[in-house]
Amino acid sequence: MQRRFLLSALLSCALIGTAALAQTPTPTPLRVISHNSFDLPKELLARFEQQHRVKLQIVKAGDAGEMVNKLILTRAQPIADVAFGIDNTLLPRAQTAGVIEAYTGPAAQRAAAVSLGGGMVPVDYGYVNLNIDKAWFAKNNLALPTSLADLAKPAYAKLLVVPNPATSSPGQAFLLATIAGLGEAAAFDWWAQMRSNGVKVVKGWSEAYYTEFSRNGGTRPIVVSYTSSPAAEVFYSKEKISEPPTANLFLKGGVFRQVEGVALVKGGNPAAREAAGHFIEFLRSAPVQQALQTTMWVFPAEAGAPRVAVMQQHAVEPALFDELPQALTEQQARAWVQRWTRTVLK
Amino acid sequence: MPRLTARSLALLPLAFLAVLLAAPVLRLLAEGFGAGDLAGGVVPGEPLRWLALWQDDYLRWRVVWSFLQAAITCVLALLLGLPVAWVLARREFATRALVLRLLMLPFVVPTLVAALGVLALWGPRGWLGAPLAEAGFSLEETPWLLLYGNLFFNLCLVVRAGVDALEQVSAPRVAAARTLGATPWRAFWRVEWPAIAPWLASALCLVFLYCFSGFGLALILGGQRYATVEVEIYTLVAYELALGPAGVLALWMLGLTGSVALGYAWLEKRLAAPGRVTPMARTRPRGAAQWLAVWAAVAVLLLVCAAPLIAILGQAARAFWQGQGAAVLGEPETLAALWNTLRFTAMALLLATGLGLSHALAVRAFDSAGSARGSGVADGAWALLWRAAAYLPFVVSPVTVAFGLLLLYPGWTASLALLIGAYALLAYPFVAKSLMAALDNLPASYAQAAATLGARPWRVLWRVTLPLVGKALRRGMAFAAATALGEFAVTLFLSRPEWTTLTTLIYQRLGRPGGANLDAALVLACVLMALALLAFTLIEGPGDDADPATKVRSM
Repeated sequence: MQRRFLLSALLSCALIGTAALAQTPTPTPLRVISHNSFDLPKELLARFEQQHRVKLQIVKAGDAGEMVNKLILTRAQPIADVAFGIDNTLLPRAQTAGVIEAYTGPAAQRAAAVSLGGGMVPVDYGYVNLNIDKAWFAKNNLALPTSLADLAKPAYAKLLVVPNPATSSPGQAFLLATIAGLGEAAAFDWWAQMRSNGVKVVKGWSEAYYTEFSRNGGTRPIVVSYTSSPAAEVFYSKEKISEPPTANLFLKGGVFRQVEGVALVKGGNPAAREAAGHFIEFLRSAPVQQALQTTMWVFPAEAGAPRVAVMQQHAVEPALFDELPQALTEQQARAWVQRWTRTVLK
Repeated sequence: MPRLTARSLALLPLAFLAVLLAAPVLRLLAEGFGAGDLAGGVVPGEPLRWLALWQDDYLRWRVVWSFLQAAITCVLALLLGLPVAWVLARREFATRALVLRLLMLPFVVPTLVAALGVLALWGPRGWLGAPLAEAGFSLEETPWLLLYGNLFFNLCLVVRAGVDALEQVSAPRVAAARTLGATPWRAFWRVEWPAIAPWLASALCLVFLYCFSGFGLALILGGQRYATVEVEIYTLVAYELALGPAGVLALWMLGLTGSVALGYAWLEKRLAAPGRVTPMARTRPRGAAQWLAVWAAVAVLLLVCAAPLIAILGQAARAFWQGQGAAVLGEPETLAALWNTLRFTAMALLLATGLGLSHALAVRAFDSAGSARGSGVADGAWALLWRAAAYLPFVVSPVTVAFGLLLLYPGWTASLALLIGAYALLAYPFVAKSLMAALDNLPASYAQAAATLGARPWRVLWRVTLPLVGKALRRGMAFAAATALGEFAVTLFLSRPEWTTLTTLIYQRLGRPGGANLDAALVLACVLMALALLAFTLIEGPGDDADPATKVRSM
């Protein structure tokens, strides 16, 4: 009786297995590699596939930094034809390693709200900055900090949580903002002060936002997040609220602009090259530029692309952001992250 | 002749380990050590510092801490787990089978969700954490939460192994000891303990390996200060592409964890005591003391394993009724993820069972070949190595495997076969481990008798050996299924949107701000738990009493 049970269990497993494996493969697909946050409506992607008679094979390769490293590691035999999600902090690494190839089609020529360079076509952009929990500040009757220096004062001890720049791209962006805004020496001094003032470091954005941020049950009312996060809070609110429970805090040295783009992968399948071009154009098309605002919570890169209502109301772009004086080099980026680790963690 | 069988049995798992584990890691090491300038100038060719691990205070602290926390967890898990296991194995009460099954749920809950549960309880604003914080005990930035997280995940391994082991203890022996005047305490130490030690050692070894190379929950709960070496390797490989230094670290860790696995294999072999067993009957608790013991055991499990899950359930219920959690259940995305989770788990389980069976049977064949010849030094060494090889998927740094696979088989990276292979790789040691322990306790005479009566080896396996170890096989399969349902494999490999599983869906939701996303993630986590519970029930059968081994014994 029991043996029969085991046998039938194994058999049914086998059936499910073979049924699943028997799915038919499709000819020359377009291989798109992206970071895990890539998200576009299924209908749009299906329409693209129909229109250009191509089968999309989207591969999510982890965080943006991980994705670039996977491209670099496999550049002898690339695992994708198009890469989406390389941003201005990762571009130097991708360029130095020579994994991307310039695209010169119409989308590359058209005016864009932001530029990226390196033969990449900008698709969207966003700002990494501090978010605060409004209710916490109201309840504790504490004035909002007006500068990064304030955050290092005893009144703001143990209030900030940041994702580790070594393992998180918003974390790295925030580190770069402090360096760009305060200067390298002053920035690392500030980080050293923040260490003694109890800054909390966690692995990534999700951990920071969902386990440490006071809005979600943690104890830290200030978190490194995005300019669009308050808008997303409204969009995904429980009962349709009109005011976000969180707010952006734009401080000098605390705002970094991330420009994300799409590029051809050097050495990708030549048979898919045309389709790859279509895909790049598709990402800059009006429907995608509209959709990505509320799927990936970023601003559209196409010049004059209309903003959706929730972004218009609740995601006001900062007037100023911190820019590095020179283009970031890979060596420099790595050295800064290592110095940060020594300053804050070791 | 038996020697040949051992070799042919070992072939399948050996090939699997070579292709999916050894080759990728070696390839990555070659890349890291060979060309220092791997990424075209991205990583400058630094000379490799082989002793860096011991010279750098920061890294040394990481190793020492990894070791310490794993060891402390093992001690705590044994101290808490053994009494609980004893009560569950010796006392009969209404919800016993359910308790044993619920115990495995921590295994399938995605790390971040588990962390939400633990923090809802022990966090600075949690149900228990807030009063503690008021009283002046802040758990934040202390190792206590991390140790708690370790226990939450690993206690079930020790308890389940303990229960299985205690059911193998021979009742007449204990009865004899008691008749001869031994106190229950003395009977435990002199009769029960020696019999269950190998099983517990096996479970503790696994707990140690899990905690030593620990990644998920411990990192979130312990904070960056208590990160393990594995986190360091991960950062070096995935974010810095510094394969050389990562390779050095990975080899050191492999040496350390590998010796633990080898030491365990030796211990297990030495402690194995095959014998015909009449298991002790479970009794209903009688008297206040016995009821107290049952209640204490349940309380320990409630506090360590169940409380965070209950916190998740509570939050999910709130999300479901008051928030927007209910909407997620009807989404096509959720249904697709559910189907993916089911079929991937089924496929991985099938593969893992095949691999685990052949691995464990090969160990047995090696052992009997060794003892049959009498000489056995070389054979014994091979048997030992092969025994320890079952732990390879746990001792090798997962990120080196993942990146090695990418480097070695770029054309296969986005294939379902590789994904299922990876799932099975991480799941099959559970089947192998569970079976090895059961086979060690199985006297060779049964199979020999059957063979003498003319049964062919396959028939012996099917009619004699398998039924006798059926329970252990199913327990191993249940753990394997839990591994496949959980996140162990998914986070490391390339994923495709059409392969989204429940776990990946939960992480997607937690990757965006907003209450509805948190609600959806919590509700999905409950769906995952329900699914896991269903899977365990299907695999393990309705309850222990319908166990084939029991039937054979009672014939």
